[in-house]
Order: sequence, then C-alpha cells, then structure tokens
Amino acid sequence: MKKLTPDQIEIIQDKRINELRKYKASLMVCAGTGCVSAGSLTLKELLDNKLKKKGLQDKYLVVPTGCNGFCAQGPILVIQPQGIFYQKVSSEDITDIIESLENGTYVERLLYKDKESEISIPKMENIKFFGKQKLIALRNKGIINPENIDDSIARGAYLSLAKVLHQMTQEEIIEEVKKSELRGRGGGGFLTGLKWEVSYKTGKDRNKTPYIICNADEGDPGAFMDRSIVEADPHAVIEGMTIGARAIGASEGFVYIRKEYPLALKRLRIAIKQAKDYGLLGENILNSGFNFETHIHRGAGAFVCGESTALIASIGGKAGEPIASYIYPAETGFRNNPTIVNNVETWANIPVIIEKGADWFASIGSIEGSKKSTGTKVFSLVGDIENTGLVEVPMGITLREIIYDIGGGIPNGRDFKAIQTGGPSGGCLPKIHLDLRIDFDTLTEAGSMMGSGGLIVMDDKTCMVDIAKYFIDFLKDESCGKCTPCREGLINLSNILTRITKGEGKENDIELMKEIAETMELASLCALGQTAANPVLSTIKYFRDEYEAHIKDKKCPAGVCKELIKYKINDNCTGCTICAKNCPVDAISGKPKEMHFIDQAKCIKCDICNEVCNFEAITVE
Amino acid sequence: MKTISVNGNSLKWEQNMTINVIIGKMNYTFKMLVVKVNGELIKKTEYDMIIIPAAADVRIIHLISGG
Amino acid sequence: MKDIIIDGKKISVKEETTILDAAKELNIEIPALCHRPTVEAYGACRLCVVDVNDGRKTRMVTSCNYPIRKSIEVNTQSERVRKTRGMLLEMMLSRWPNVDVIKQFAAEYKVTKPRFIHPLVDYSSNACILCGLCVNACSEIMWEDIIGFAGRGESRRVVMPFEKHYDACVGCSTCANICPTGAIKMIDDPNQPADSKRIMKYGSKIADEMVLMDEEQCDMRGVGTAHLAQIMNDYDLFPTCNYKFGSHKDAGGLHSDVFKQKYITQGLPDGCWLGCSMSCAKTVEGYELKTGPYKGDKVLIDGPEYETIAGCGANMGIFNPEFVLEANFYCDTYGIDTISFGTGMAFAMECYENGILNKERTGGMEFNFGNEEVGLEALHQMGRGEGFGVIVGQGIRRMKQIFAEKFDLTKKQIKFMQDIGMEAKGMEYSEYVTKESLAMQGGYGLALKGAQHDEAWLIFMDMVNNQIPTFEDKAEALHYFPMFRTWFGLMGLCKLPWNDVEPADNAETDEPAKVPGHVEGYVNFFSAMTGKEIDKHELILQSERVYNFQRVFNYRLGFGTREHDSIPYRSAGPVTIEEYESRAERYDKQLVEKWDYDIKGKTSEEKRDYLRKMREADYQKLCDAVYKRRGWNENGIPTIQKMKELKMDLPEVLAVLKKNN
Repeated sequence: MKKLTPDQIEIIQDKRINELRKYKASLMVCAGTGCVSAGSLTLKELLDNKLKKKGLQDKYLVVPTGCNGFCAQGPILVIQPQGIFYQKVSSEDITDIIESLENGTYVERLLYKDKESEISIPKMENIKFFGKQKLIALRNKGIINPENIDDSIARGAYLSLAKVLHQMTQEEIIEEVKKSELRGRGGGGFLTGLKWEVSYKTGKDRNKTPYIICNADEGDPGAFMDRSIVEADPHAVIEGMTIGARAIGASEGFVYIRKEYPLALKRLRIAIKQAKDYGLLGENILNSGFNFETHIHRGAGAFVCGESTALIASIGGKAGEPIASYIYPAETGFRNNPTIVNNVETWANIPVIIEKGADWFASIGSIEGSKKSTGTKVFSLVGDIENTGLVEVPMGITLREIIYDIGGGIPNGRDFKAIQTGGPSGGCLPKIHLDLRIDFDTLTEAGSMMGSGGLIVMDDKTCMVDIAKYFIDFLKDESCGKCTPCREGLINLSNILTRITKGEGKENDIELMKEIAETMELASLCALGQTAANPVLSTIKYFRDEYEAHIKDKKCPAGVCKELIKYKINDNCTGCTICAKNCPVDAISGKPKEMHFIDQAKCIKCDICNEVCNFEAITVE
Repeated sequence: MKTISVNGNSLKWEQNMTINVIIGKMNYTFKMLVVKVNGELIKKTEYDMIIIPAAADVRIIHLISGG
Repeated sequence: MKDIIIDGKKISVKEETTILDAAKELNIEIPALCHRPTVEAYGACRLCVVDVNDGRKTRMVTSCNYPIRKSIEVNTQSERVRKTRGMLLEMMLSRWPNVDVIKQFAAEYKVTKPRFIHPLVDYSSNACILCGLCVNACSEIMWEDIIGFAGRGESRRVVMPFEKHYDACVGCSTCANICPTGAIKMIDDPNQPADSKRIMKYGSKIADEMVLMDEEQCDMRGVGTAHLAQIMNDYDLFPTCNYKFGSHKDAGGLHSDVFKQKYITQGLPDGCWLGCSMSCAKTVEGYELKTGPYKGDKVLIDGPEYETIAGCGANMGIFNPEFVLEANFYCDTYGIDTISFGTGMAFAMECYENGILNKERTGGMEFNFGNEEVGLEALHQMGRGEGFGVIVGQGIRRMKQIFAEKFDLTKKQIKFMQDIGMEAKGMEYSEYVTKESLAMQGGYGLALKGAQHDEAWLIFMDMVNNQIPTFEDKAEALHYFPMFRTWFGLMGLCKLPWNDVEPADNAETDEPAKVPGHVEGYVNFFSAMTGKEIDKHELILQSERVYNFQRVFNYRLGFGTREHDSIPYRSAGPVTIEEYESRAERYDKQLVEKWDYDIKGKTSEEKRDYLRKMREADYQKLCDAVYKRRGWNENGIPTIQKMKELKMDLPEVLAVLKKNN
C-alpha cells in the first residue's frame, strides 16, 4: 500500500464518492453491538446473497454500519439516499424489502410508528428521535462501513489532518481548540485546549516528549456512547488523536479500551491497520515529517481505570490506583512525561473543529454567560423511556425535550419520576428540573453532573432509595480501596442503605449518611470517591419523604423493596387460578372461581403472580 | 600578610572570607564535611554567612573512610 | 522560595516542599497514619487533610503530598477539617476498634464510640489498617515487590503473590518495622537472635539513614563504591599509571555519573546480601562484549566497584568506561581479582615503558599505558593459560623474580622493579595513592594479609584533615581502626553501613571519623544477637585477640616481622624525576619545612634522593610507634605479656613465642 500525500486523500475521496453514486440505493444495515446481537450480520449476509441471486448486486449496495442509536428497535436497516427507516427487520422481510426497492415503495409493517398519533413515518429525518439530533461526533453513524477506510475518507476523514500538518503550526492548532471552548466529554469537563497547552508547554520546558491517550474505558453501567463511536467511526477518533499528537508534540499514543468491547476493539484494530497502510499513522505522515504511532491497551474490568491517573498506572503495568490530583497528568503523567488523556467523544470532535472552524463549533450549544458548554453531547438514553438509544444533541437542550420529544416519553402510561444523569457518580433530578437546560455547569449546580452522558429515566414505580443503593453497591465494588473515605464510606453507606431497604432503618440514618457523604466529597483521593455519594445526596435532597417512609413507616411507596411490600389479592380476582399455578413457592391458595389468598409467610415477592394476572387483581403495597 | 590555618595549612586571609570561599580555594569537592572555626561547629546552612576572622583555626574534616 | 502562612504563622519554604514538612518546621503537628519520611507520600489514610486557600478558592487537600508552588494560606485545624478527620477516624475505629494508633488519634478528635457497625469489623489490636506502608517500604526501600495489595474496595488486602508464601522474602523486617499496628510478624528466624526487637531498633535506624541521607552523601544505592572515583581524582589520590600520579585530565570518563546515566541499572536490589537496605553492589545489564570468547553476547556485569574502575582504568592509563566494564566481566568470568589484575598490569606496563620488557619479551604486545587492546588480550591470555599473560597473571612478586631470572637486566633495573612493583607481602596494592600519607603507608604495609585497606583507611584523616600529625597519633589510629574494621570480618558483617552512610548529627559528635552513632548500633547488635552484653571497648578487644593471634600465626609460618612489613618506595614517595617534578612544590616545601633541607641549587635528582632517605626513615619510625602501641617488640612480634593481657596466652601461642624470645 502506498503512503498517501494530501492530494491523494482527495483523489480517494472523489473516487469513493463516485463509486457509491453508481448504486441506486445503499442498504445500511446497522452493525452496532446491539443490532449484531439481534442478528443484523446474518441479515446482511442474506441480503447480499439474495441480491446476488437476483443479479441486483451492482444496483444496490449492502453496507454494515455503526450504531444508529435506536437500539431497542433493532435490527435497524436504513435505505439511503432516500432515508427510509426500517426497524425490527428480520430475515423474513428481505424479499419484501428488495421488492419495495425495485418498486419505489415501502414495507409498511417495518416502518416506525409514532406512539401517540399512530402514524407511520417512513423517513428517518421526520422521526423526532433522529430529527432533533445534531451530529458532530456521530456524524458518520449509520452512513459508512467502519471497516473500510475509503468510506471514511469519502466522508472527509483525514483532510483535517492534512490541513493541520501542512498549514498550521502547533500553537495554531492549540489556539483553535481553545477558541472552540470544547470541554472534555468524559465527564471532567475541562477545557480541552487549555489542557493541551499545558502539555505542550511542559514538554518544551522540561524537554520531555508528551503522550496522547484515548480513554475508551467507559465504565458507567448502561453507557455506550464511546463504544458506539468507535464501532461506527473509528477513524474519527484516530484522526482526532493524531491531530492532538501533532499539537502537543507527541509521537506515541494509546487507546485504553475496556476488554468488554470486542466489536469496538475489532473495528479499532482494522482501522489502525488501514490507516497505517495508507501512511496516515507511522512515520512521516502525509509527507510532513511528523511521526505518530498508536497502540491499543485493553482494560481488565475495573471501573476505576477510567480515572486518568489510574488509567495511566494501568497502562504502565501497575494496579489501577489513582494518585493525588495535585499532580496533573498534563504535566506529569505516563512515564513521568506530560500526558493528555481525552475521552473518545472529545477526540471525535477534533477533526470537525479543524474543518469547520472553532467559531462554528463555539456557536453551538450552551453559549450564554461566562460558563459555556459549546458543541454537542452524545447521551445514552435508557431506562423507563419509549425510545431507548443513543442521541447526540446540542448542549443546552432541556431535559423535557430529550425525554419527551426525542425519547418519546414514559411507556406504559406511567409518570416521570426522576432522571439519573452522569453515571453512578451522578445524581437524580426530579420533575422540577425537567426544564433544566443541560450543560456541564447546570447539572452540577442542580446536584448531579454531566459525567460521560448516561441518562437513566425512571418512572413512578422506581424506589429512589433502592436506586441509591444500587449505585452505591456498584461503586463499593469498584472502589480501588486505597483511601479511607471512599472505601469505608461506601461500605458503610451500602450497609445503611441495605438496612433501610430491609425495614431496619434507624432514626439518624439520613443525617449520618449525609455526614459520611460530606467527608467523602471533601477528603477522597479521586473523583470516584469525591462524587460517589451523589446518588445518596441527590435522592435525599429531592426524595427525602421516600427515605422517611422506609425508615419511620417501614414502607416502600414505589413498591420495590421486597421486605417492605406485601402482595395482596384484591376484589378484581375472578378465581382463574393462574396465579396459584405459577407461584413458585405455592403461597397462593383458593378454589376456582373464588377469591384467592396469598400466604404472607411463604410469599417471596417475585412478582410472577402480578405478571400473569390478567385482571389486575394483585395489589403491591 | 594575614593568614588563617586550614587543617594546619597556612592560607592567605582575605576580607569577607566565608567557608564556601575557603572550600573553593582548597578545592574541597567532597560533600560530607564537618567544619569547625576556632573549635566551634559551623552548620552547612551557615557556610555562606559566617565571616572568618584573620588568624582563625579552621578545621574542615572530611568524613570519608573508603570502600 | 515561597512565602506561605500556616495557622497564621508565616514561613518561607523551597518550592515543592509539602505542607506537612513545612508545618513540621513550624512545630505544627498534623495527624498522619500512612506517612513516613522514608517512603513517598501515599495519600491513603487522608487524616492529614488541611484547608488550603490559594487566592482563588479554598479546597481540602492532603498535606503529606501537596506541593507548595505559590503563596498559599493553610488552616490545619478549621472546623470542617476537624470534622472531616473526626469522621475518618470514626470510620476507621468502627472497622478496627482495638488498634492503638487509631484509638489515640480518635481520642484527640473526641471519637470514642462509632455510630455505625462496620460489616467487616476486626477486633484484633494488630489488625492491618491498609495504610500501605509495608508495601511501599518493600518496593521503595528494598526495591523488591514481595508484598502488594490484592483485590479492591472491601476485599483490599496485603498479600504475597497468589496469596502463597513467597520465598524471595528473606525476612529483612523492613515491613514489620514500619507497620504501625504490628500486623506483620517475623517468624522462623534461623539465627535465633536473643532480642530481635533491639536489633530491629538499631537496624531500622541505619535503614532510615540509608533512605533519607545516602543520596546526598555517597549515593551508595545509586552507584555503589564507584562514587569514589571523582573524589579520589579531585584530591590527587586516584592511582594513575602505576601510582605515578594521583589525577588525570581524562578522569572524567570514569566519573560515577557516566556509569549511572549510561550503564548501571537503577532501583534493583543486589544479590550481595539479600535484604540489605544499602544494596550497593551495582550491575550493568545487557552490555555487549567486544572481545573474547563471548564477543557479541549481551551480558550482565557485576560491578563496577571503585577498585575496578581505578585499577582496570586509571592505573592502566585507560579512561574508557567500557574498557573497565569489559575487564570487569572477564576478570569475573576467569576468576581473576580485578585489583591484582589492574595493579599487576600497571607494573608490567611501566616495565615495558622503561625497557625492562619489550615486544620480544611480551610476545608482540605493546604494553604501553593506555593500550586497551593489549589490556584485554593479556587478560584473555591469562584466561586461556597461554602467552605472556600467564606471567603477568602470577602477580607482581613473581613477575619481579621471573623478569630478573629470564631477562638480562641490570642491577638498576632490578632495583627499579623493586621500587615500582606495588605489592606488599606478595599481594598487589589496592587502588589508593599513599605517597603523601605516612599513616596510610602504614595502613597498607602493616596489614596482616597484604596491601589492602580492609584494616585502615586513613588517607583523608592524615593528609587532608591533618588529624593525626604525630607518630603517636598515627600509631593510635593504626591501632583503633584496624581493630575496629576487622571486627566486621569476624562477625561476618559488611562494614559499609558503618561508614558509607552517616547519621545526620554525626558532625556534632566528639569523634565523627569513628561514626560513634553507628558504633553504638553495632555494640547493641552484637549484644542483642548473642545475648552477651558488650560495650565498645570489649568490641575492640574481641578483635584485638584474634588480630594478635593471626600475627603469631604469620610469625609461625616464617613471616610476621618488621622485614615483611616493608613497602615498595613508589608507595611512600616519588621514585622517578618525573614524579618528583609533578609535585615539586609540595616536595620542596616538605624538605624545607619538615627537615630543614636547603633546596637552593639542588637538582631534582638530589632532592628526590634526600626525600627518599627521610621518608624511608619515617616509615621505620612509624613502625616503631605502631609496634609499641600494639604491644609488640621491636621486630613486630607480639610479646608474651601482650598475649597474657589479652588472655590469648594459649599453649600453642606461647610455644611459638617462647622459642624465639
């Protein structure tokens, strides 16, 4: 493979665009992990075979793409350039799909139906979930085959790198990123340009070569932003890293990717190899004299390794333990050299900032006042929400818009209760904050945080004490255990919360938890410990009555905490005996056509009777 | 000519002579030194501060015992 | 320097000083559990938190590792700091309610009864509190990683690898010593010391000094004895070209910095004495050999020690560090002592440069000073057992005999060999220039086993410090130091921890050259090891008994008299005109001041010869004084009276002494 010059990138770009134009339509089969696990790769194979059989392989191209974001409705298939959106596609639908292509029609049953109006919406751009998004980091999702570098180049990949290498000085690159006011998307929210400047200057002052690291550890439960970016558009990340390396003077970089992402890892490896073959990584990139190599380092299952200093220790072969935050990795990091650790999403934004300019980027997002959050953010929207999936929206969008417009509201006719933002260290925000304009600072002020972009929606059947316990238990397992407040604080918080959910709460438990939380916030060594008490603090702040119900009344109002709820059969009972037949512990007794009765001593609160009852005769209280 | 004695050797005395000056003149590059002026111990932090008077008996003991 | 304020008090400190250290200077105590000066601040217990106002905002930081970089205001006892510490102690106390050090701190913060029940409560008073001191000490002080943390969060614990006993642990007790709760026990000590706690007390003192002071003192942990090269060169004591000179303009090539930066592996424990906190036996890893049977191989070189650097370097007129390394390796491989090799080669080289040897006699090798190729070829010949190298390999005493027998030499040449052949009692001199130190001439010449400084190393005391001006002073030093230094050999101990690192207050003691703080340590060590209490005088007597016995032993074999305590003149003064003139000012001065010699109009030759007469006489006078001090007769033989005093009047000893008295 020849090593490319800048001109040659454009040649490949034109070539690929022209190649793709020859097809009447492209069938974009979503091959993100979600859809793959639903069988989308098999689907792709079958499509290829069918088209070939029919001699249509030169008319229609099947492209496996990265995640579209509409994960609960997978496998997803999008027909481009028409933009027709099909969901829950199976192998049985292939014949009809191909027919509809030839006839210029749709396959009705595969279309998205708006829940409220019940109208089918054939075009992707008209579906609110997609229409309201603004794609920068995910600009190529669902449009390219991530395992073919020419597809990325067709969409403009590596042109920013060429610009940076041949038309900009290091200082100019850093200045541009500073001007964009891009803030770290991993959760820290530091101004990326400033961080780069520190490493650049430290490297020069101390005569030390800086390092570039991409944090793809993504440990938050339920978060899959970074995974999707790497699966959909790995070149965006690689190009971003290379630009960053040029800016600060690094020649070596690492992608720290969690072991639990095999597909993302595979795509990354392919992308790095293809970039290398084109000379876009390695020595003398694009004839500029600049060298940059990037290596992949896999995590080994520790949430704490998403913390920069723990991550750096892990790459160095040591246990993932953070060190004092007064030692900035930007100055003293990997091998004691200045090191930039940025999140996947941050890197993916860089090529676009170079291409379209800092001013353009800085005009998007939450841009009023002195504390800005420019650009967009990728969020994973999960939980009790109609449209589960991945979205990229401008900073400053309201929670209400995300939940109701994009997310389609709460399913099953239930009510919104709270939204947890920012991963386990985030906080829960109640209804009163629905009109909050989301950005780094507003979320923190409200008692939560942006984090890496997880949004967990909860309906009114959620017990907030139980939620707090869930996150505290997660963090307790993931705490590295080095410092007292985090290790002991989480153990004790978990213990107290468990007692409360079991009906063993004591009167001063809430105040005690607040004291522990305060100590954790002030005295913990790293951000994990400092923010670990947020789930407890925010739920106490907004849902104190629920805690008090658990502690004083020994009741769980949402009907979740097993020790505090009772399953009873009410008047609606028709005596159909289904519940009794399905009860795993034989706790239900009753004659046919007569009201049945649950033995409280035997009942294990598994909820099966409630699930199988067709008459809403089970009351949980 | 005014002199001082450094480990029994005669050295020409100068105005504003400090221990560091003497160490420089004697080319004493070794680091572990015990310095006494007229029997009084001088701490390392004072090497630049104490002015040595004429006719002083300066002892600069090297603490080295070989390996 | 930065001006800061702690609790309202002002202080000026060097940048990067930690708040904890700055507070110490102000006598402000900040509680800390996981901090010791000998290991890097770990920041785990968090007790040392303080409030810091940097002008923009106030934040709570750990004072143990927060570096002062600008003018800050610190509050070590603010309400929220106290509250935080109280909560931390409450958490610790709930998990480890009976650990003394936690109880003590907790009481200070009025925490006595925790408000929660810890699910992992450990009632042992020796519980491990996860402070990490043991792990960090093993890693940073001993450069081993025999223990470490396993698990995270609530399953965090200190273990050996795979939670099995790891026999790389030699029981150095560093971890047990630094543990604040006694959670680590020493078990199974095959030496069965009488009082191990007492040993640990003094041993840990030296270990602490090693960590805190060594780098700025001798840097034994960094380069070992190699640090001496530049010192000797600076003081004109670096043996150059067979001890002709004491320094050389190219000696920088053998500076320990060169070895440290390019060759010596840092931060690894050595195999000399497992568990030693000095760990000064350095190695060079992955060195590619240029010559010999292993040419091209990348090898590990055990060294280089100072003696090798000087002997296989400057003394041979070579200042290339890689020559030293290669010679070091092959000497070790062939089983050849590097000192004997270096000093022996230096002798042969000077013989060559003075016509005693020539190409015909050396088998074609040009034995000039500085000839690296010949230097190594001769070594390989020694190894192979062929060629001229074999003759050099028999040592200077035999070389002198062989040359005199085999080659047609003049009387003058034979005398010259006597003068420049640096051996005493048949053993080659180790690498220090004794020319200007009468005491050290005695140190080498009077040593029982030959010319080595195991017994006495007095050059600086004598020449530079001028602490032993009279014969009696020198004799006293030649009594005390040989007795003290050989005691280590009797005990199987290394003497380097005695004098190659010093306590911070050593300068203020009465006799800093003796390092009294450490003498006390060794006295206690012996007493605690054996259960037999001794003092520093008894220590000397222990040595004196054996020493005198050894002298009698020598005597029985036909040596051990004044005749055998003789030294070659090169070790006592300038043999050649060139040597005289290289230090003319010094020698002229001595002739005039010490012996009232009129140097006006005298040639260098005349002055040299007179100096020699005086110096040779001085050496004999030194012997007189030393024998007297040691209780020996004029011929250097221990008297029966002396042996009786020492209670060494054993029958076999008396038999020897009576025969000849």
